[in-house]
Amino acid sequence: MAAWLLRRLVAALAIVFAVVTLVFFAIHLVPGTPFLPSGERALDPSVEAALRVRFGLDRPLGAQYVSYLGELARGDLGESFSQQRPAARALEEAIPNTVVLAATALAIDLLLGLAIGALQAAYARRRLDTLLTHTTLFVYSLPTFWLGLVLLLVFGQELHWFPVGGVVDPVVHQALSPVGRLFDRLRHLALPALTLGLVGAAGTARFQRAALLEALSQGFVKTARAKGLSESRVLLGHALRNALLPTITLMGLALPFLLTGSVVIETVFAWPGMGKLAADAVLSRDYPVVTATTLAATVLVVGGSLVADILYAVADPRVRRERPR
Amino acid sequence: MTTLPLLPLAVIVGCAAVTIRLVKRRARSAATRRFFESPAAAAGLGLLLFFVLLAVLAPLVAPYRPSAQLDIVGLQNRPPSWRFLLGTDLFSRDVFSRLAYGARVSLGIGVLATLVSVTLGAAVGAAAGYFGRATDAVLMRLVDVGLAVPKIFIVLVAVALGRPLGPVPLAVLLGLTGWFATSRLVRAEVLSLSERDFVEAARALGARPWRIIARHVLPGATAVLMVSAALSIANMMLLEAGLSFIGAGVQPPVPSWGNMIADARDLLATAPWTSLFPGLAITGVVLALHAVSDGLREALDPQARGGASPLAAGERSQERRLGGWVARR
Amino acid sequence: MRRLALLALILAAACTSRGGGSCRGEYCGTVVFAGIGQPASLLPPATDHILDRDIYDQIFLKLADVGPDLNTVGDSGFQPQLADRWTWRDSLTLAFHLDPRARWQDGRPVTAGDVAFTFAAYTDSVLDAADRINLVRIASVTAPDSATAVFRFRQRYPEMFYDAVYYLRILPAHLLRDLPRAQWRSAAFGRNPIGDGPYRFIRWDPGQSLELVADSSFFLGRPHVRRLIWRFAGDLSVAVTQLIAGEADAIEVLVSPANIERARQAPRLALYPYPGSVFTFVSLNLRARDGSLPHPLFGDPAVRRALVAATDRVRMTQSIYGKTAQVPPAPIPEAWTALWLSDLQVPAYDTALAARELERRGWRLGSDGVRQRGGRKLAFTLAVPSTSPPRRQYAQLIQEELRAVGVAVTIDAMDNVTMQARLHSGAYDAAIESWANDPTPSSSVPQMWMRGGGSNFGHYSNPAFDQWARAATRARSAAAATEAWRAAFGVLAEDAPVIVLSAPDNVAAIDRRVTNVRLRPDSYWAYVRNWRIAPSQFNARDQLVR
Repeated sequence: MAAWLLRRLVAALAIVFAVVTLVFFAIHLVPGTPFLPSGERALDPSVEAALRVRFGLDRPLGAQYVSYLGELARGDLGESFSQQRPAARALEEAIPNTVVLAATALAIDLLLGLAIGALQAAYARRRLDTLLTHTTLFVYSLPTFWLGLVLLLVFGQELHWFPVGGVVDPVVHQALSPVGRLFDRLRHLALPALTLGLVGAAGTARFQRAALLEALSQGFVKTARAKGLSESRVLLGHALRNALLPTITLMGLALPFLLTGSVVIETVFAWPGMGKLAADAVLSRDYPVVTATTLAATVLVVGGSLVADILYAVADPRVRRERPR
Repeated sequence: MTTLPLLPLAVIVGCAAVTIRLVKRRARSAATRRFFESPAAAAGLGLLLFFVLLAVLAPLVAPYRPSAQLDIVGLQNRPPSWRFLLGTDLFSRDVFSRLAYGARVSLGIGVLATLVSVTLGAAVGAAAGYFGRATDAVLMRLVDVGLAVPKIFIVLVAVALGRPLGPVPLAVLLGLTGWFATSRLVRAEVLSLSERDFVEAARALGARPWRIIARHVLPGATAVLMVSAALSIANMMLLEAGLSFIGAGVQPPVPSWGNMIADARDLLATAPWTSLFPGLAITGVVLALHAVSDGLREALDPQARGGASPLAAGERSQERRLGGWVARR
Repeated sequence: MRRLALLALILAAACTSRGGGSCRGEYCGTVVFAGIGQPASLLPPATDHILDRDIYDQIFLKLADVGPDLNTVGDSGFQPQLADRWTWRDSLTLAFHLDPRARWQDGRPVTAGDVAFTFAAYTDSVLDAADRINLVRIASVTAPDSATAVFRFRQRYPEMFYDAVYYLRILPAHLLRDLPRAQWRSAAFGRNPIGDGPYRFIRWDPGQSLELVADSSFFLGRPHVRRLIWRFAGDLSVAVTQLIAGEADAIEVLVSPANIERARQAPRLALYPYPGSVFTFVSLNLRARDGSLPHPLFGDPAVRRALVAATDRVRMTQSIYGKTAQVPPAPIPEAWTALWLSDLQVPAYDTALAARELERRGWRLGSDGVRQRGGRKLAFTLAVPSTSPPRRQYAQLIQEELRAVGVAVTIDAMDNVTMQARLHSGAYDAAIESWANDPTPSSSVPQMWMRGGGSNFGHYSNPAFDQWARAATRARSAAAATEAWRAAFGVLAEDAPVIVLSAPDNVAAIDRRVTNVRLRPDSYWAYVRNWRIAPSQFNARDQLVR
């Protein structure tokens, strides 16, 4: 187990390293960068030459690469042009917000998706199943930002049930009790998390239904039925547990979906996370921030799939044994 | 052209329905018949055909040019009427015309990106699966790296380093960043197919590797590729819509269903038709593509294949099943 | 349901509140401003963004401020602030006596040395404050003793007093003396200012909100409203939505007829119309991006005039604003009424003329519909802030109208901080700018159109214009001044360095529970410290205190 874990860790680090290298070359091979956002005025050639020397950009690419790695190791991700502060500071503030949003959306995704999928499997091929199939297909096909806009309009603007943006109420939050603050945060979190969670849940439900139906038709389930176990016990006990394995893998794959979705959803709901940071930075051509968020997203995805692999290995002992190539 | 678009529209709908009927009736192979057995798949295909025809025939169907601002004082935000089938937007542009031309852009980007990604993915996956060993290891590590970065960030980096991309460069970039999952799927298929007898025979006859791959191995993976392609088009379209919405995708005045919704963002309550129809269009096409891919999966039914070992078979089927569900990344 | 939720929040707060508790008595109250975009800095001479000005005008004081009648000639109507009295020692020397009660918020007294330091900063060419050009007629500011600041002028003119007091927000010398001027624009002091005004800076959550708290020992009288909070919204629409939903209390301009209608229908909001002080225009950069003269497209006045003629500004403004805005005959806001009544004309909309002019200058239509001359296309980038829906609309309207005469426009939307940086560095072709103006043309016009003006981003320069402008600022009578301005703007119209788009009305919306509200077009929140909220009208926010 330990050897396998070590191998996976090394592989994960290698991936992050590869992405870092690619980002470096992307920045340094585009003309005008790295210290000017493209579109800015072109510098006087002599001034540009002097600046290049000063920032060490006249050194060979290899030497620059090494110092780039050093900067990353120290946590220096560059300076944001539009915010006039280190990109790492902006990321520091933004990442926790995205993690909270993604975690809540994932929870909604899992709970709702599993419930609906199980419901569909239980009532397979009957009216409810057909209705849910069509509904989940429709919801799964919605563009997340459009769903978000509609929810924001109906529940935020028209009904005033939820606030129209932000992560806390900047006016009252400081003065509230801990319970009040939690409630405030939940009110702001509800709509964005629901938007991402609903679409994800639709996908999970579709997957779960198929996985459960397949599990239900397998041998061990027939045995359980033959033994006289009730249908619901069969469903919950055996089928669900076996369908859970691919679900863990699916959850690991949900992280890229959540991060991609966060870019648009956070823009719609003015949620100050990584996604909004990246989207705003693109508008300002603030590429240090954009590349910093890309690296952060990569680390999150790699970390997430590592966790998913570990969970899978814990759940399925077959994986841990050495396999013939 | 300012003629009523209803007649050409009816023609398109008619064409789509008739085509479906014809194909269904003349279906030869069992797979095609199985496909059309599912009403959802057939309806999906019909809907898809409708949008494709709309996109292709846009200049004939659309009564106005998509960027024509007809009367910025008098015809802003008009609700749907006989003259403007889906109403007008903030700039007094005909929503229906923009929707038709936007179909060209949105569908076009989805299809082009998918062409690029499926081609690349098939090539890499086939090479990895067939040649094995070092090639496989190197290529699959590359795929791991590619899967680690969510596609949208790569486009954001590209835009931040330069300027917003035109539709064709955007589609190519999306394709270049989207082939990784496909390659995994193809590799799994190729791995199983490579051990089959007819491949052994071909190898024994001295056929060159790529010839074997192209003529014997890849056709077997067609099923997986078709399903994957359908889902990929949907995914690429959603990605493009999101990018255009935040302003990093297709730039005005070129209409794309995503940037139409962005323009209409402040008018959600006062002029809902400006965002409703592009939203429904995106949802409709994605829905149709999902239904079609479900139908394809059912029709081409890969479950019946055997494999080297039960575990490998389970792996492959899981890979296949997951690959089918890994749509919205 | 929203009220229920807020009530539940308050109940939860009341039941288990940790210290502070509920505010009682008259000295409570929170006013939330719906701010648009982000502030860049709260150090007055280091920024020309209007949101920053709105905030720092609560933190820093001037020597005196214009009265509600907005008179700028002589010193009648001016309200004492830092200075409690002033005397003319001779026709060119003005001495201010500082109020001995004035204190910086760190306890130190405000001295005349601060005034002299401030003048040096505002006139420093390294810092290049936007108002620098308006201070050229002041020869020096000295501090013979700690309570007296003496201004010496180079010449006599009607608005001497106005120039002495209006621009300078007095800065704490003891805190800024050691900071090199080159670093002022990004200084930490701008994110954590210490002033002498009615409100103290408390905190700033970047991208979220900013909080000021009343200084209860403010020497001119404690403000009645205890807290001021700015919520930052991504653009005007979001800000108005927050206002109507009750998450904000005040916004200074509603801008569009749709917003005005929405605000009118909200029962808790009161509308305050007041003379418009804003105008919007397309600024054309007359210099090429690398700084050399001239711009390959806009260096030619005939091309510029053609662009003006090719855009139907009246209809565009009607489309966006309905009846709530006009197209001014020159870059002037509604508040400068005398100039509207002069014979200045809005340039005609004439696409045929535009096409003829472009052809005459050698720009021939290419096969792709875009004009070209000598291999260069008549194409440029139009910068627009993403925070302003009306300007984004103008951008797409202009793009389409210019396409019809063979000009290709690419729209570049960006946040307001980036746009400010691009304007300052000259890295743009054309940009849609929107300026709020001072009460008199003699302060805005030199800044924007005269050679060396701190806001003259397009580098427009015409000695004839400068001559007329200088004559106008020196004119002895209002009629003579108007005549001179009219002549100056005549020169500007001929040169067409800008495409003037609109001068909108101002309608502000403020929660009804706030009383004693007065707004000034040149400085929206100038009288906030006099606003009141009656204790019987307190809502949940007013009663929460930290």
